[in-house]
Amino acid sequence: MSDSSAPLPVVSVRNLERSFPLVNGEKLMVLKGLDLQIYEAEMVAIVGLSGVGKSTLLHCLGLLDTPSGGEITYRSGEKTWKTSQLDEDSRCQLRNHFIGFVFQFFHLLPDLNVLENVLLPSQVSRTSRAWNKNRDEFHGRAESLLQRVGLSGREKQAPGTLSGGERQRVAIARALMLSPPLLLCDEPTGNLDSRPSESIHELLRELHEDYSTSILVVTHDPDLAARGDRRLQMVDGRFEAESTS
Amino acid sequence: MKYHDDLTRRYLKRRWAPWASTLAVTLGVFSLLTVLAVMEGFKVEMRERIRGTLSHLVVEADPFRGLVGEDSLLEAIRNTEGVEAAAPHVSTLALYKVGIMDHCVLRGIDPIPESKVSDLARYLLSDDEIDQMLSDKFSMLPPDREPSTAEEIAHVFSIERRRQIMSFRLNEDPGPGFTRESPPQAIIVGIEALRSFRLQMGDVVQISSYSPVTLEPCSGNFLVVGAFQSGVYEQDLRWAYTNIRALQDTLQLWDDSAEDMRISGISIKLEDFQKADEISETLHKEIQSRMSLPEDDPKSIPSRITSIETWEDKRANLIKAVEIEKRIISVLMLLIVAFASGMIFLILMLLVIEKERDLGVLRALGATRSGIVLLVLKQGMFLCTTGAILGLLSGWIFLENINEFHDFIFRMTGLQLFPPNVYYLERIPVVLRYQDVLLVCLPTLIFGFLGSVLPSMRAGRQDPIKALHHE
Ligand SMILES: Nc1ncnc2c1ncn2[C@@H]1O[C@H](COP(=O)(O)OP(=O)(O)O)[C@@H](O)[C@H]1O
Ligand SMILES: [Mg+2]
Repeated sequence: MSDSSAPLPVVSVRNLERSFPLVNGEKLMVLKGLDLQIYEAEMVAIVGLSGVGKSTLLHCLGLLDTPSGGEITYRSGEKTWKTSQLDEDSRCQLRNHFIGFVFQFFHLLPDLNVLENVLLPSQVSRTSRAWNKNRDEFHGRAESLLQRVGLSGREKQAPGTLSGGERQRVAIARALMLSPPLLLCDEPTGNLDSRPSESIHELLRELHEDYSTSILVVTHDPDLAARGDRRLQMVDGRFEAESTS
Repeated sequence: MKYHDDLTRRYLKRRWAPWASTLAVTLGVFSLLTVLAVMEGFKVEMRERIRGTLSHLVVEADPFRGLVGEDSLLEAIRNTEGVEAAAPHVSTLALYKVGIMDHCVLRGIDPIPESKVSDLARYLLSDDEIDQMLSDKFSMLPPDREPSTAEEIAHVFSIERRRQIMSFRLNEDPGPGFTRESPPQAIIVGIEALRSFRLQMGDVVQISSYSPVTLEPCSGNFLVVGAFQSGVYEQDLRWAYTNIRALQDTLQLWDDSAEDMRISGISIKLEDFQKADEISETLHKEIQSRMSLPEDDPKSIPSRITSIETWEDKRANLIKAVEIEKRIISVLMLLIVAFASGMIFLILMLLVIEKERDLGVLRALGATRSGIVLLVLKQGMFLCTTGAILGLLSGWIFLENINEFHDFIFRMTGLQLFPPNVYYLERIPVVLRYQDVLLVCLPTLIFGFLGSVLPSMRAGRQDPIKALHHE
């Protein structure tokens, strides 16, 4: 961050609100005017009690959910996108190219093998013809990612035959398939034992440095939280204190 | 999208349930195609046979008044553009008695003109053929057989032949007023009348009917001199031909006021049957103008004519019956296809529920809503079209070899699904029209689409967050 040009936010959130209607007619306010900036090549950890709205924030950032108020701005180079101006198609496109998702429960497709799972993001936005034209390039990218997460030679294996830690590595490779500027991880090690957790933490940090991807990671794990450039504490729909490490 | 191909393949691989729905579609298409082709073949065959025994057009007279002055009328008709030949006939319902009593439709014909308007020449059997038919219950005329000539037909009715036939039946009583040298008039009956032992060659039969002129009962003796096979069972059992003059005498058709013998109608053969409606129209006008005698004149022809009909009109009910049967069975067979589409619906619904999480993941990775809808829709249509193609293929192979299959089943089980003596069809007739193929494919695809559309809409409406919430 000692560069002369000031770092620019990849994503900035202003006054984000999200409420859910309850059966009794009232509203459950989950996100209450939340502000957040994530800069290029930054790793931010979010911690907070269960049910405080961390996943809700990630869903909003990942364009899976629509905020009730406020705005999110995505930026890549000169281009910016504002949530208020996105139509359904560009939301899908951003989800595909701009954002990588890593979930607590891995969410690999059991019918596809490891390599096919990693290739998936490149396939959802391309016609067969367009994809086949660049087939070798995609395969090369997927294989190098798998190698990078330590799973080379396991391409043809079914996800069901992998351990939890290995599955999460595949999921991470999948999230990075199209080199998204922003990686969203929702409790990536929440479902793993401490040993594989630790190696996932290391991997995330390494990838972050290798690919200079901005990472937003929600975690209960103090070890992972400590690896972030910043650590944000979420309390009652807002961020309470910021601590930089 | 690329992921459609791979996922469709993977979802359908190693699962048998989706293929059950494909099998159901196959079955439906197969049955539908087979039924349509056989019914159509049957219809064409029926039409062909009925057509042969009737002429293209029939000028029908009022049954009680008949038609007189036929010579000038025949002349007029024969000179009409598009008419090839015309022949007078008399027809009546009659009872006959040999050992038992039975009824028949008796037609009096003029042999030589008649041979030009109907296919009697093709159906008339020679003596050898009659013997052969009687010895083998199921035998049929070969289709490429040489038709009889007009002279041969005339010969069957001739006095020489009647004398010859009488000479073989020494015990037969020629009846009062007849001798072996002057035997009764000739009658030609259908082969089934001989086969069922109602009649025999050389029988002298007494035919009774009512005279439409005197309205009194009348009867006459006739000598069975020949037989025909039209291929329509009912006709071959009940129809009989005799000489028009003989029948006119028997029925006492002399019309005092017109001073002429009445006839029942005129059969017409056209150069081109396609023009039947047009020509019948012209004939109507022609008859009206040329025969314009006052309405009350007994010789007035137009007032005695009730209709000019094509043979199709005359037998419309029979052909329509087959057509309706075909339609009803098709609708029933379509139920199989509808059932198959229900299966596709259930299977896709289960797939969407089972793969809810996968679909949520795909959405998170950037798949559009319509992409997910298409993914499911494609699976349904893939199952459906695969079934349809398999059904068409198997149906086609089956229809090509339907008679071999039938023979095989007959050999194996002795079951005759298509008894030749009922319809006289040695072979099951098959006519596969492209309209019928379309009639099979289109509803199948529509049903398949209907079955797929709801599950795919549901898949598209799914909330990805909910789908991703649980493991
Ligand atoms: N679709 C929804 N309808 C109603 N309430 C919801 C919905 N999604 C989340 N919530 C509520 O919002 C709050 C925040 O949830 P979440 O973001 O999942 O918390 P966490 O910080 O544990 O990830 C919870 O109280 C949850 O019950
Ligand atoms: Mg959560």
